[in-house]
Amino acid sequence: MEGKKEGEGETGKSEFGASEIEYVSYGGEHHLPLIMSLVDQELSEPYSIFTYRYFVYLWPQLSFLAFHEGKCVGTVVCKMGQHRNTFRGYIAMLVVIKPYRGRGVATELVSRSIKVMMESGCEEVTLEAEVTNKGALALYGRLGFIRAKRLFHYYLNGVDAFRLKLLFPCPELYPSLPMMAKTEDSHCHDDHIQPEERSELHQHL
Amino acid sequence: MAEKGAEEAAAAVDVAVPEGASIASGDNTVWTDVSLLLEAACEDLRDGELIHGDNFNLFAAMSALEIMDPKMDSGMVCKYYSVDEAIENGAAPVPISFYKTVDVQCTIDIMDYLLACEATWHKGHSLAQTVFSCIYLLRPDRTSSHALLHSYCRVIRATCKAVISVVSDARTHEEEDLFTMAYGLPLDGDGDEKCLSLLNAVEETISRQLRACKAHSSKRRVLEDIEPLQENVDLEEGYCKALLCRLRFRKHFYHVLTSMRRPQGRGLELARKHIATCISELECIRKSAEFLRSIACGACDDDTEDRTTASGCQPIGFDASLNCRLSAPTPPRTIKILSWKMAIDYFVKLLHDLDIICSYTLDPLLEGVLHFVVQFQKSQPDLVARAHLQLLLVQDGKLYGRDSMFAVITRAAALPEVTKNHDIQNNEYIGQLGQLVINKLKVLCTNSAWQRRKLGKMLQDWRVIYVQLELAFRKDFGDVLSSPDDENVCMKIFQHILLWVEEQTYWIASRFLILGFELELYSPSEYCMVYWYMYVVLIKLAEKTHLKMAARNDTNKRKGKKKRDSLKDVAREYRIPPAVLFVQCQICLVEGLTMMLAALRNENMILQSPNPFNTEQERFFQHFELLQKACVPDHISYPAFDESTTYARISTLVMYNYFKDAQRIAKEVKSSFTNDPDKLAELRRIEQVAEHNSIALNVICQVGALDPKLKVSFEFSHHPYFATAVVKRS
Repeated sequence: MEGKKEGEGETGKSEFGASEIEYVSYGGEHHLPLIMSLVDQELSEPYSIFTYRYFVYLWPQLSFLAFHEGKCVGTVVCKMGQHRNTFRGYIAMLVVIKPYRGRGVATELVSRSIKVMMESGCEEVTLEAEVTNKGALALYGRLGFIRAKRLFHYYLNGVDAFRLKLLFPCPELYPSLPMMAKTEDSHCHDDHIQPEERSELHQHL
Repeated sequence: MAEKGAEEAAAAVDVAVPEGASIASGDNTVWTDVSLLLEAACEDLRDGELIHGDNFNLFAAMSALEIMDPKMDSGMVCKYYSVDEAIENGAAPVPISFYKTVDVQCTIDIMDYLLACEATWHKGHSLAQTVFSCIYLLRPDRTSSHALLHSYCRVIRATCKAVISVVSDARTHEEEDLFTMAYGLPLDGDGDEKCLSLLNAVEETISRQLRACKAHSSKRRVLEDIEPLQENVDLEEGYCKALLCRLRFRKHFYHVLTSMRRPQGRGLELARKHIATCISELECIRKSAEFLRSIACGACDDDTEDRTTASGCQPIGFDASLNCRLSAPTPPRTIKILSWKMAIDYFVKLLHDLDIICSYTLDPLLEGVLHFVVQFQKSQPDLVARAHLQLLLVQDGKLYGRDSMFAVITRAAALPEVTKNHDIQNNEYIGQLGQLVINKLKVLCTNSAWQRRKLGKMLQDWRVIYVQLELAFRKDFGDVLSSPDDENVCMKIFQHILLWVEEQTYWIASRFLILGFELELYSPSEYCMVYWYMYVVLIKLAEKTHLKMAARNDTNKRKGKKKRDSLKDVAREYRIPPAVLFVQCQICLVEGLTMMLAALRNENMILQSPNPFNTEQERFFQHFELLQKACVPDHISYPAFDESTTYARISTLVMYNYFKDAQRIAKEVKSSFTNDPDKLAELRRIEQVAEHNSIALNVICQVGALDPKLKVSFEFSHHPYFATAVVKRS
């Protein structure tokens, strides 16, 4: 239902099976340079090392890295905390390098973070994505995020953003929902993943 | 551990408390000398480590910057340390050249680039990085010896100041606050307020030079001895003309801004004349590009669409990095200035938008005002035009600075004449209601993203005021209300106002839902619930509008009872008013869309994959949270939606085709709107959508059963928010 595949550069696509990708939870300082270099090359806005540390020190359980044959090919960085009256998760950065896009790596990374957030008692998860980032919008749409608001001229380049929100079912209200039974199977969406999967932190620096 | 909590680290160091600290430390805190701590830390810390307190948060982390990283360090010297240094190094010479032809040529480039900067500023970048990247503007006195450049710089500064004042007075710019930031920029040059007299004098001189050169070329005797603009005789006419249209545009644009600010819309007619002149001068500016490019040929950029001046040459005297070092609100990133062509297009659009505002007749009826604002927003006007509209609508807490809000409400709610002087206007809640109307008008002038959010929140206020008014009326007029006299004025006012408040509430709700389409907030899998919600809101809107109009007719009838033919009266009473029928055909259309989408889903003709983390119910709740919180409408919830769509089937829909009803009503009601082109156009679009969907429904019904590969998708090809079904064989 979401936008059909856009002209993604088929050239330079890596050949690999989904099982060859290894997903690792953030394991300490030695992972930091990997995350930083990945985010640095993909996102236009610069973040100081303190921004990265802020996330991975406080919420190491919410950050994941994807490896293929020893090479780091993707990462997700998140946080969670009290926001007004809700306990909410926030996806700060999501990056998969170009040759590995469209194969479900981002979906798997972000699903792992979301699952931990849910288990930790988050009521909802939010993030911002550029309105032009069709890939990210489709990915999050499939995971159940809605576009809650449009943020006018959100990025410094003048592009609008959507605030995406995923509301978890409230267990007391609807105990019968077949929730979260098989998130482990979530790479069944593999062949629908769009390129350009990433989200950006808010950049009003 | 790379980061150490300050407290933990401090514990390891002997901390001395200074005597008699002069600034109060606040509750539960004391001042301490951290020198020793820092000294100890310096020995210990490696690259990339820091000491922080417990309150170290994301904002603090993101505010840290790495020195000498060109993306983060705005203090990094790109070229010059200061404006003075740039000037000393000849970055902005006065005159620009001692060779007059070059001087004129460069001045025109500066003018053109400033226009591009100004448009870029209006489009959402900071003033410091756009218009005030011009070194000449930063030192107002330096240009005084160069009358041409000086006059232009002055009018630019004065114009910026006028535009900032419009936008900050309107406060429509909540998310566009970068716009009015002008700290440290010399917006008030000495004598800028007299910018027009200097501009007129310079214009006069150049028009004489133009006349002189024309006379010269036609071998007529020159009437006055006048020094030409520049040395090259062949270029004199072209340069004079290029300068004149640029100067005249500035003059008239400044007039537009000032006349539009006159109270109660008194300057609108005059503003229209200046707008017309501005547009024609912009066309002359556009045409001058051919001449300017022919001279600059070779010396400048290739003919790209990106060029920021008419000639294509880079202007002298601009440095955007200077303000990065000097003024705080400027991020260290370079921005892309709009091309000169796009800048002209921007100003043409702005002037057209302003012209629409100026040609508005200041409708005294609120309904008309709302319709006008919504129509105006359809062309997606930018900030400056929206701010002007808002200032026109609401001045001194009155509509157009003229009609009190109570008078506006009285008229809108169709209250009897006597109300105008009734005590009720002093009621506290009536006062609050007036304030809500003002807020509503202001919010409708904001950009649609912001507008939608504010409208959603505003719904609660309207709901609360309804309840408060109802209680207040019951309390104040309880005794009279219980009396059987139905002619009672209070009773009338009470009913009319409450009805009108409800109508307004549903109007806001429908606008909130519609804006979601414009902002692309709904994904196709959510269309079904959105149309369903629109359906329940529009039903209420139609109901309240109908009741309001019936009450109005009732009042009118009473007034003219004796004069009128009673038979005609009866006939009139049973006719549904066109305004209600108009909503009615929208209702049929959204009902049809809801059911069609539901049926397609129920019969698995639209692919719906389940989401791993939540269900449709959560998405329903999220999308309509603000409506539900305000009980708009009452008793509406996900189960109600689920119930009304679960059993939808294509076969039943074909039997009872809502689209045919929409078409029929649209056709019928058209004749009532022959004087309203906007409504007529809308009815035509509704008819088209209904017709296409009706056909699509038949096709799906006939072919669908035989062809399991039939694909149905939805497009907004005929209407911005009513979708048209597209059926394809895959």
